Amino acid sequence: MVRTAAHRIADVRRLLLAARTILEKRADLVQAIVESTGLSTEGVELALGSHVELEATDEELSRLVAWAGDVSRVAVVLSANVFVGALRAIALARAASDDVVVRPSRRDPAFARALVGAANALGDTHLRIDEALDVAGVQAGEIHVYGRDETIADVRARAREGVRVRGHGSGMGIALVGAAADVSHAARALADDVVVFDQRGCLSPRIALVIGDEARALALGDALHAELDRLGATIPRGDVPKDERAASSRYVATMTYACRVLVGSQHAIGIAPPGAPLVLPPPYRHVHVAACASLADAEQLLAPLARAVVSVGSDDLEAARAIVPPWARLSALGRMQRPPLDGPVDGREAKLR
Amino acid sequence: MVAAFEASAPAPEPFDTLACDLARYQAARIEGYARLCRARGIDVATVTNADDVPAVPTDAFKVTRVATFPPEETHITFRTSGTTIGTRGEHAMRDVATYDAAAIAFGRRWLARDFDKPAPVVVLGPPPSHAADSSLVHMCEAFVRAFGAPAPAESTYLVDGDGVLDLAAFDERVAIALARAEPMLVLGTSFAFVHFVDAVGKASFDLPHGSRVMQTGGYKGRSREVPPAVLRADLARVFALGERAIVGEYGMTELSSQFYERTLFDEASPLGVYAEPPWARVVPVDPDTLLAVPHGSVGIAKVIDLMNIDSAVAVLTQDQVRRVGPENTGGFELLGRAPGAPARGCSIAIDELLGRAGG
Repeated sequence: MVRTAAHRIADVRRLLLAARTILEKRADLVQAIVESTGLSTEGVELALGSHVELEATDEELSRLVAWAGDVSRVAVVLSANVFVGALRAIALARAASDDVVVRPSRRDPAFARALVGAANALGDTHLRIDEALDVAGVQAGEIHVYGRDETIADVRARAREGVRVRGHGSGMGIALVGAAADVSHAARALADDVVVFDQRGCLSPRIALVIGDEARALALGDALHAELDRLGATIPRGDVPKDERAASSRYVATMTYACRVLVGSQHAIGIAPPGAPLVLPPPYRHVHVAACASLADAEQLLAPLARAVVSVGSDDLEAARAIVPPWARLSALGRMQRPPLDGPVDGREAKLR
Repeated sequence: MVAAFEASAPAPEPFDTLACDLARYQAARIEGYARLCRARGIDVATVTNADDVPAVPTDAFKVTRVATFPPEETHITFRTSGTTIGTRGEHAMRDVATYDAAAIAFGRRWLARDFDKPAPVVVLGPPPSHAADSSLVHMCEAFVRAFGAPAPAESTYLVDGDGVLDLAAFDERVAIALARAEPMLVLGTSFAFVHFVDAVGKASFDLPHGSRVMQTGGYKGRSREVPPAVLRADLARVFALGERAIVGEYGMTELSSQFYERTLFDEASPLGVYAEPPWARVVPVDPDTLLAVPHGSVGIAKVIDLMNIDSAVAVLTQDQVRRVGPENTGGFELLGRAPGAPARGCSIAIDELLGRAGG
């Protein structure tokens, strides 16, 4: 049977319906995700309630289907992404093929398992879980791997000849606060983007570039500090592993020495010295704020990190488009963690290959 | 203090007193350090224990100036090697005399104390003219001047500006030293020695009796990586030396002091244990709390360096260490760079961004 675009879209829509069904009765799922991710219950609820892409237009799904192509078989390796990312990953695979096998993340398998189970219950028999999937055993089609560069390289090395590997690496988001932005509004929206998944997603903003002087960067930092304090009360940060606490201690000490740092009970914001190279802060609600005299300065400052930038949130999308890598997703601040379901979140593969 | 060390005399002032005085001096001149002390809850006016002095992370050297003096007084700036994102740490000095005196004194103690006359010294590295901002090259140059017999630069610094190792020049220096029965001192980085070993293959370069090798530093992607014990064995074989003649050095751009394995002159000292000069102390600290860990436990190295007069008296590295032997005199083991936090999700890990493996 020929799989038309309409068929594929219908298959993806059935997957979205499956996602909806598991979210409607999610108490056990929430608990499992809390245990596997270390996120707070409120953090998991926020992610499931607001950041699962259930509403997709036909136009968006058409783009997703076009990206996916037509493949005899897809093996999906979910070694590292945020748990809701499994929906997009499986949707891409399902759009591509009538034969999809999913290897969930060992650390964080609950959402993917539940989703595939729900899809099967809705009659989709072309989708299955294989916890022991060996990429070297995939004989044809594609492997979609989500993980670190090393993991992707390892899968490429082990994949059989003729099997295409589509890698989706780790990355980060940045925020660009334009010259005309109201910093209070920008901070409120940025805080919303920061708290989701405790910044463990590749869309999560970890650096904020502020067009203006140091005083403006400080103003954004102060406002963001207040907003993260406020959000921390209702959506507490989850457990922070010891190695991440160490990274936090180091970042806080560095920024205390270098310029200024605002430390909350569940977050930290470093204000960069003017003109200093950008520092990547650790995840778990850390934001590095840097003033840039102009867009050109912002572009120059960002250049060494550009290859890692997956998403950009800004109040000035035109300005942002001019300075960020072509593959980066652009969105309004506060919408960085709600990308339309129109393809992978990470556009680097399409642009770089 | 260096003079007292060289004369085997007691230190003129206690270590803790000097360290705390330096912390006060630096806090009075560097706003960032004063801020760090306040944030750590340390009143520098009253601090008396060197271990309590807050340490400046090495990252700070990449994002801001770490100096007590204005830029126009800078005599030399040492820079760290670059990372994949291009940032380099900078350590400015207005006077290198103290650095040189300390480096030579402690280098002599563990590398050259038995030399009764200038020796053939070769550096598997570029000449200072090609790496003017490298503290390691600067130190090697100081050793060449202090311990070395006169020799042209081209037969002393054996890596050219393009990174090519001049094996013929090395061969010639070795031949002359063998003919004169003069023990040699060979200085180089781990990756330079790996290239050397690869170039030599199964052949050997027998060095004169009594020769020794100082090897230092990591790899930073500039050669294949070789476990320390393997590299030591390889070098011992290639140079026909005992393994105890391969002396590890530990130092970094952000410091003014160095540390050495005692293997050459202390038969009881195990391989891999580094000695501190009386003007520097390595304190393993918990990477989260930044407080000292119990003796014998692994922590990251907080280096209290009294020679960092104009920069940071205490530096927080990313290297894992463990103190061994008697509490104040035993030394420390160097256990490699602390692994970065692994990615938990798809947000990029700092190590991955910097192109460092693992994590």
